[in-house]
Amino acid sequence: MIAQFALTMLLLAVLLYAWRQYRRAPAIGLFAMLAALVGLYFVWSPGQATRLAEIAGIGRGVDLFLYLWVVISLLMLLNLHLRLRMQMEVMTELARALAIANARGGAPARPR
Amino acid sequence: MATPWIVIAAYNESRVVGVVVAELRAAGYPVIVVDDGSTDGTAAAAGSAGATVVRHPVNLGQGAALQTGLEFALEQGAETIVTFDADGQHRVDDIPALCDALAQHQADFALGSRILGASLNAPLSRRILLKLATWFTRLSTRMRVTDTHNGLRAMTRRGAQALKLRQNRMAHASELLQQIADSRLRYVEVPVTIQYSAYSLAKGQSLGDALTILIDLIARRVHR
Repeated sequence: MIAQFALTMLLLAVLLYAWRQYRRAPAIGLFAMLAALVGLYFVWSPGQATRLAEIAGIGRGVDLFLYLWVVISLLMLLNLHLRLRMQMEVMTELARALAIANARGGAPARPR
Repeated sequence: MATPWIVIAAYNESRVVGVVVAELRAAGYPVIVVDDGSTDGTAAAAGSAGATVVRHPVNLGQGAALQTGLEFALEQGAETIVTFDADGQHRVDDIPALCDALAQHQADFALGSRILGASLNAPLSRRILLKLATWFTRLSTRMRVTDTHNGLRAMTRRGAQALKLRQNRMAHASELLQQIADSRLRYVEVPVTIQYSAYSLAKGQSLGDALTILIDLIARRVHR
Protein backbone atom coordinates (compact mmCIF):
# COMPACT_ATOMS: atom_id res chain seq x y z
CA MET A 1 0.00 0.00 0.00
CA ILE A 2 2.83 2.42 0.86
CA ALA A 3 4.46 1.71 -2.52
CA GLN A 4 1.16 2.31 -4.27
CA PHE A 5 0.79 5.73 -2.64
CA ALA A 6 4.41 6.65 -3.39
CA LEU A 7 4.04 5.64 -7.05
CA THR A 8 0.75 7.49 -7.28
CA MET A 9 2.37 10.70 -6.03
CA LEU A 10 5.23 10.24 -8.49
CA LEU A 11 2.90 9.61 -11.43
CA LEU A 12 0.70 12.54 -10.46
CA ALA A 13 3.82 14.72 -10.54
CA VAL A 14 4.62 13.37 -14.03
CA LEU A 15 1.04 14.06 -15.09
CA LEU A 16 1.27 17.65 -13.86
CA TYR A 17 4.63 18.12 -15.59
CA ALA A 18 3.29 16.65 -18.85
CA TRP A 19 0.22 18.85 -18.69
CA ARG A 20 2.42 21.94 -18.24
CA GLN A 21 4.60 20.88 -21.20
CA TYR A 22 1.63 20.22 -23.48
CA ARG A 23 1.48 23.74 -24.92
CA ARG A 24 5.22 23.81 -25.72
CA ALA A 25 5.57 20.29 -27.09
CA PRO A 26 2.10 18.85 -27.70
CA ALA A 27 3.21 15.40 -28.89
CA ILE A 28 5.52 14.81 -25.92
CA GLY A 29 3.04 16.26 -23.43
CA LEU A 30 0.25 14.06 -24.71
CA PHE A 31 2.31 10.87 -24.72
CA ALA A 32 3.69 11.54 -21.25
CA MET A 33 0.17 12.23 -19.93
CA LEU A 34 -1.13 9.02 -21.47
CA ALA A 35 1.78 7.02 -20.10
CA ALA A 36 1.25 8.50 -16.61
CA LEU A 37 -2.49 7.78 -16.70
CA VAL A 38 -1.91 4.20 -17.81
CA GLY A 39 0.71 3.89 -15.07
CA LEU A 40 -1.79 5.12 -12.46
CA TYR A 41 -4.32 2.59 -13.67
CA PHE A 42 -1.79 -0.23 -13.39
CA VAL A 43 -0.69 0.84 -9.91
CA TRP A 44 -4.23 0.51 -8.62
CA SER A 45 -5.20 -2.50 -10.77
CA PRO A 46 -2.13 -4.75 -10.63
CA GLY A 47 -4.22 -7.72 -11.78
CA GLN A 48 -5.05 -5.93 -15.03
CA ALA A 49 -1.38 -5.06 -15.50
CA THR A 50 -0.42 -8.71 -15.13
CA ARG A 51 -3.11 -9.82 -17.59
CA LEU A 52 -2.05 -7.22 -20.12
CA ALA A 53 1.62 -8.11 -19.60
CA GLU A 54 0.85 -11.77 -20.29
CA ILE A 55 -0.96 -10.82 -23.49
CA ALA A 56 2.00 -8.65 -24.55
CA GLY A 57 4.39 -11.47 -23.68
CA ILE A 58 6.22 -9.41 -21.05
CA GLY A 59 5.65 -11.77 -18.14
CA ARG A 60 4.75 -9.81 -15.02
CA GLY A 61 2.68 -6.70 -14.46
CA VAL A 62 5.51 -5.09 -12.56
CA ASP A 63 7.76 -5.47 -15.61
CA LEU A 64 5.14 -3.75 -17.73
CA PHE A 65 5.09 -0.92 -15.23
CA LEU A 66 8.88 -0.67 -15.36
CA TYR A 67 8.81 -0.49 -19.16
CA LEU A 68 6.23 2.25 -18.92
CA TRP A 69 8.52 4.11 -16.53
CA VAL A 70 11.38 3.88 -19.01
CA VAL A 71 9.13 5.34 -21.71
CA ILE A 72 8.16 8.25 -19.44
CA SER A 73 11.84 8.87 -18.61
CA LEU A 74 12.80 8.92 -22.28
CA LEU A 75 10.02 11.34 -23.09
CA MET A 76 11.16 13.64 -20.30
CA LEU A 77 14.71 13.41 -21.61
CA LEU A 78 13.53 14.35 -25.09
CA ASN A 79 11.63 17.26 -23.64
CA LEU A 80 14.77 18.42 -21.85
CA HIS A 81 16.65 18.26 -25.14
CA LEU A 82 13.99 20.40 -26.80
CA ARG A 83 14.11 22.93 -23.99
CA LEU A 84 17.87 23.21 -24.44
CA ARG A 85 17.27 23.91 -28.11
CA MET A 86 14.87 26.67 -27.13
CA GLN A 87 17.50 28.20 -24.86
CA MET A 88 19.92 28.05 -27.77
CA GLU A 89 17.47 29.99 -29.93
CA VAL A 90 17.28 32.74 -27.31
CA MET A 91 21.08 32.84 -27.14
CA THR A 92 21.27 33.02 -30.93
CA GLU A 93 18.93 36.00 -31.04
CA LEU A 94 21.04 37.77 -28.42
CA ALA A 95 24.31 37.03 -30.19
CA ARG A 96 22.83 38.15 -33.52
CA ALA A 97 21.55 41.43 -32.11
CA LEU A 98 24.95 42.07 -30.56
CA ALA A 99 26.84 41.20 -33.76
CA ILE A 100 24.64 43.41 -35.93
CA ALA A 101 24.77 46.29 -33.46
CA ASN A 102 28.57 46.10 -33.39
CA ALA A 103 28.80 45.99 -37.19
CA ARG A 104 26.32 48.85 -37.52
CA GLY A 105 28.37 50.98 -35.19
CA GLY A 106 31.48 50.29 -37.22
CA ALA A 107 33.19 48.59 -34.30
CA PRO A 108 36.30 46.82 -35.53
CA ALA A 109 36.12 43.04 -35.69
CA ARG A 110 38.43 41.69 -33.02
CA PRO A 111 40.04 38.31 -33.50
CA ARG A 112 39.88 36.25 -30.31
CA MET B 1 18.89 45.04 -61.45
CA ALA B 2 20.71 46.54 -58.45
CA THR B 3 24.10 45.13 -57.53
CA PRO B 4 23.60 42.08 -55.34
CA TRP B 5 25.02 41.88 -51.85
CA ILE B 6 27.03 38.76 -51.15
CA VAL B 7 26.59 37.06 -47.78
CA ILE B 8 29.24 34.62 -46.62
CA ALA B 9 29.10 32.61 -43.41
CA ALA B 10 32.60 31.75 -42.25
CA TYR B 11 34.02 29.76 -39.38
CA ASN B 12 37.79 29.32 -39.12
CA GLU B 13 38.30 30.02 -42.82
CA SER B 14 41.30 32.33 -42.55
CA ARG B 15 43.20 30.27 -45.14
CA VAL B 16 40.77 30.93 -47.98
CA VAL B 17 38.23 33.61 -47.09
CA GLY B 18 40.54 36.50 -48.03
CA VAL B 19 40.97 35.17 -51.57
CA VAL B 20 37.22 34.54 -51.95
CA VAL B 21 36.33 38.03 -50.75
CA ALA B 22 39.01 39.68 -52.89
CA GLU B 23 37.65 37.96 -56.00
CA LEU B 24 34.10 39.07 -55.21
CA ARG B 25 35.19 42.64 -54.47
CA ALA B 26 37.17 42.74 -57.72
CA ALA B 27 33.94 41.84 -59.53
CA GLY B 28 32.30 44.83 -57.86
CA TYR B 29 30.08 43.14 -55.30
CA PRO B 30 29.60 44.42 -51.76
CA VAL B 31 30.44 41.53 -49.42
CA ILE B 32 29.25 40.75 -45.91
CA VAL B 33 31.19 38.08 -44.06
CA VAL B 34 29.60 36.76 -40.90
CA ASP B 35 32.45 35.45 -38.81
CA ASP B 36 30.81 32.78 -36.71
CA GLY B 37 33.01 33.10 -33.64
CA SER B 38 36.18 31.92 -35.38
CA THR B 39 39.27 31.33 -33.31
CA ASP B 40 41.67 32.04 -36.18
CA GLY B 41 42.13 35.23 -38.18
CA THR B 42 38.99 34.85 -40.34
CA ALA B 43 37.55 38.25 -39.43
CA ALA B 44 40.84 40.04 -40.08
CA ALA B 45 41.40 38.23 -43.39
CA ALA B 46 37.88 39.04 -44.62
CA GLY B 47 38.06 42.62 -43.41
CA SER B 48 41.38 43.37 -45.06
CA ALA B 49 40.12 41.87 -48.34
CA GLY B 50 37.31 44.43 -48.34
CA ALA B 51 34.35 42.72 -46.68
CA THR B 52 32.07 44.18 -44.05
CA VAL B 53 32.51 41.82 -41.12
CA VAL B 54 29.70 40.96 -38.74
CA ARG B 55 31.08 38.94 -35.88
CA HIS B 56 29.20 36.47 -33.71
CA PRO B 57 30.62 36.56 -30.17
CA VAL B 58 30.36 32.75 -30.02
CA ASN B 59 30.17 29.95 -32.57
CA LEU B 60 26.51 29.31 -33.41
CA GLY B 61 26.59 27.47 -36.70
CA GLN B 62 26.30 28.18 -40.42
CA GLY B 63 22.52 28.54 -40.38
CA ALA B 64 22.67 31.15 -37.64
CA ALA B 65 25.45 33.00 -39.46
CA LEU B 66 23.51 33.07 -42.72
CA GLN B 67 20.41 34.44 -40.99
CA THR B 68 22.56 37.14 -39.37
CA GLY B 69 24.05 37.99 -42.77
CA LEU B 70 20.63 38.18 -44.41
CA GLU B 71 19.28 40.44 -41.68
CA PHE B 72 22.32 42.72 -41.88
CA ALA B 73 22.11 42.89 -45.68
CA LEU B 74 18.42 43.79 -45.52
CA GLU B 75 19.25 46.48 -43.00
CA GLN B 76 21.80 47.89 -45.45
CA GLY B 77 19.03 48.16 -48.06
CA ALA B 78 20.03 45.19 -50.24
CA GLU B 79 17.52 44.51 -53.03
CA THR B 80 19.20 41.28 -54.11
CA ILE B 81 21.23 38.96 -51.90
CA VAL B 82 23.48 36.08 -52.92
CA THR B 83 24.68 33.50 -50.40
CA PHE B 84 28.13 32.20 -51.15
CA ASP B 85 30.37 29.65 -49.44
CA ALA B 86 33.60 30.74 -47.78
CA ASP B 87 35.64 27.71 -48.80
CA GLY B 88 36.22 28.70 -52.41
CA GLN B 89 34.09 26.01 -54.04
CA HIS B 90 31.72 28.49 -55.74
CA ARG B 91 32.49 30.51 -58.85
CA VAL B 92 32.00 34.27 -58.96
CA ASP B 93 31.08 33.89 -62.65
CA ASP B 94 27.86 32.08 -61.68
CA ILE B 95 26.45 35.07 -59.80
CA PRO B 96 25.16 37.05 -62.84
CA ALA B 97 23.27 33.99 -64.11
CA LEU B 98 21.57 33.56 -60.74
CA CYS B 99 20.56 37.23 -60.59
CA ASP B 100 19.40 37.24 -64.22
CA ALA B 101 17.22 34.21 -63.48
CA LEU B 102 15.43 36.16 -60.74
CA ALA B 103 14.47 38.86 -63.21
CA GLN B 104 13.75 36.57 -66.16
CA HIS B 105 11.44 34.24 -64.25
CA GLN B 106 10.10 36.91 -61.87
CA ALA B 107 11.23 34.61 -59.11
CA ASP B 108 12.21 35.44 -55.53
CA PHE B 109 14.77 32.66 -55.26
CA ALA B 110 17.33 31.37 -57.74
CA LEU B 111 18.85 28.18 -56.39
CA GLY B 112 22.20 27.02 -57.69
CA SER B 113 22.18 23.42 -58.91
CA ARG B 114 25.35 21.44 -59.44
CA ILE B 115 23.26 18.66 -60.95
CA LEU B 116 22.05 20.93 -63.76
CA GLY B 117 25.53 22.41 -63.94
CA ALA B 118 28.70 20.60 -62.95
CA SER B 119 30.57 19.44 -59.88
CA LEU B 120 34.27 19.08 -60.42
CA ASN B 121 36.28 16.56 -58.40
CA ALA B 122 33.21 15.34 -56.47
CA PRO B 123 33.95 12.02 -54.77
CA LEU B 124 31.42 9.17 -54.98
CA SER B 125 30.51 9.40 -51.27
CA ARG B 126 29.59 13.05 -51.69
CA ARG B 127 27.44 12.29 -54.74
CA ILE B 128 25.57 9.54 -52.88
CA LEU B 129 25.01 11.80 -49.87
CA LEU B 130 23.69 14.52 -52.15
CA LYS B 131 21.28 12.10 -53.84
CA LEU B 132 19.91 11.00 -50.46
CA ALA B 133 19.53 14.61 -49.28
CA THR B 134 17.76 15.57 -52.51
CA TRP B 135 15.41 12.62 -52.21
CA PHE B 136 14.58 13.55 -48.61
CA THR B 137 13.99 17.21 -49.49
CA ARG B 138 11.75 16.36 -52.41
CA LEU B 139 9.72 14.10 -50.16
CA SER B 140 9.45 16.54 -47.24
CA THR B 141 8.95 19.82 -49.15
CA ARG B 142 7.32 18.58 -52.38
CA MET B 143 9.74 20.87 -54.22
CA ARG B 144 11.05 19.52 -57.47
CA VAL B 145 14.65 20.52 -56.87
CA THR B 146 17.70 18.72 -58.20
CA ASP B 147 20.19 19.96 -55.62
CA THR B 148 19.57 20.65 -51.95
CA HIS B 149 22.61 21.53 -49.89
CA ASN B 150 24.04 24.04 -52.34
CA GLY B 151 25.08 27.27 -50.62
CA LEU B 152 25.08 29.31 -53.82
CA ARG B 153 21.69 30.98 -54.20
CA ALA B 154 20.26 34.39 -55.00
CA MET B 155 17.15 35.95 -53.58
CA THR B 156 15.18 39.15 -53.81
CA ARG B 157 14.60 41.38 -50.82
CA ARG B 158 11.10 39.93 -50.51
CA GLY B 159 12.51 36.43 -50.60
CA ALA B 160 15.06 37.18 -47.87
CA GLN B 161 12.36 38.75 -45.72
CA ALA B 162 10.32 35.55 -45.96
CA LEU B 163 13.17 33.53 -44.44
CA LYS B 164 13.70 33.03 -40.73
CA LEU B 165 16.26 30.29 -40.25
CA ARG B 166 16.03 28.69 -36.82
CA GLN B 167 18.21 25.71 -37.57
CA ASN B 168 21.56 27.03 -36.44
CA ARG B 169 23.67 24.27 -37.91
CA MET B 170 23.70 22.30 -41.13
CA ALA B 171 19.97 21.53 -41.21
CA HIS B 172 19.39 25.15 -42.25
CA ALA B 173 19.71 24.21 -45.95
CA SER B 174 16.70 21.89 -45.72
CA GLU B 175 14.86 24.38 -43.53
CA LEU B 176 15.50 27.13 -46.07
CA LEU B 177 13.90 25.05 -48.82
CA GLN B 178 10.97 24.23 -46.55
CA GLN B 179 10.46 27.93 -45.86
CA ILE B 180 10.60 28.70 -49.58
CA ALA B 181 7.94 26.04 -50.15
CA ASP B 182 5.80 27.42 -47.30
CA SER B 183 6.15 31.00 -48.53
CA ARG B 184 4.72 30.00 -51.92
CA LEU B 185 7.14 32.45 -53.52
CA ARG B 186 8.49 31.53 -56.93
CA TYR B 187 11.84 29.79 -57.21
CA VAL B 188 13.95 28.65 -60.09
CA GLU B 189 17.01 26.42 -60.33
CA VAL B 190 20.07 27.65 -62.18
CA PRO B 191 23.02 25.52 -63.33
CA VAL B 192 26.19 26.33 -61.41
CA THR B 193 29.61 24.76 -61.12
CA ILE B 194 30.98 23.54 -57.82
CA GLN B 195 34.70 23.02 -57.70
CA TYR B 196 35.68 20.71 -54.85
CA SER B 197 39.14 20.96 -53.40
CA ALA B 198 40.82 18.93 -50.66
CA TYR B 199 40.14 21.89 -48.37
CA SER B 200 36.41 22.18 -49.16
CA LEU B 201 35.93 18.42 -48.94
CA ALA B 202 37.50 18.36 -45.50
CA LYS B 203 35.07 21.10 -44.46
CA GLY B 204 32.06 19.39 -46.03
CA GLN B 205 29.42 17.12 -44.59
CA SER B 206 29.74 13.44 -43.76
CA LEU B 207 27.16 10.70 -43.29
CA GLY B 208 27.25 11.39 -39.53
CA ASP B 209 26.40 15.05 -40.23
CA ALA B 210 23.50 13.89 -42.38
CA LEU B 211 22.12 11.96 -39.41
CA THR B 212 22.46 15.02 -37.18
CA ILE B 213 20.61 17.07 -39.78
CA LEU B 214 17.81 14.52 -39.82
CA ILE B 215 17.51 14.60 -36.01
CA ASP B 216 17.49 18.42 -36.02
CA LEU B 217 14.72 18.51 -38.61
CA ILE B 218 12.61 15.98 -36.69
CA ALA B 219 13.18 17.87 -33.40
CA ARG B 220 11.95 21.05 -35.05
CA ARG B 221 8.73 19.32 -36.10
CA VAL B 222 8.09 17.91 -32.62
CA HIS B 223 8.77 21.24 -30.93
CA ARG B 224 6.93 24.50 -31.59
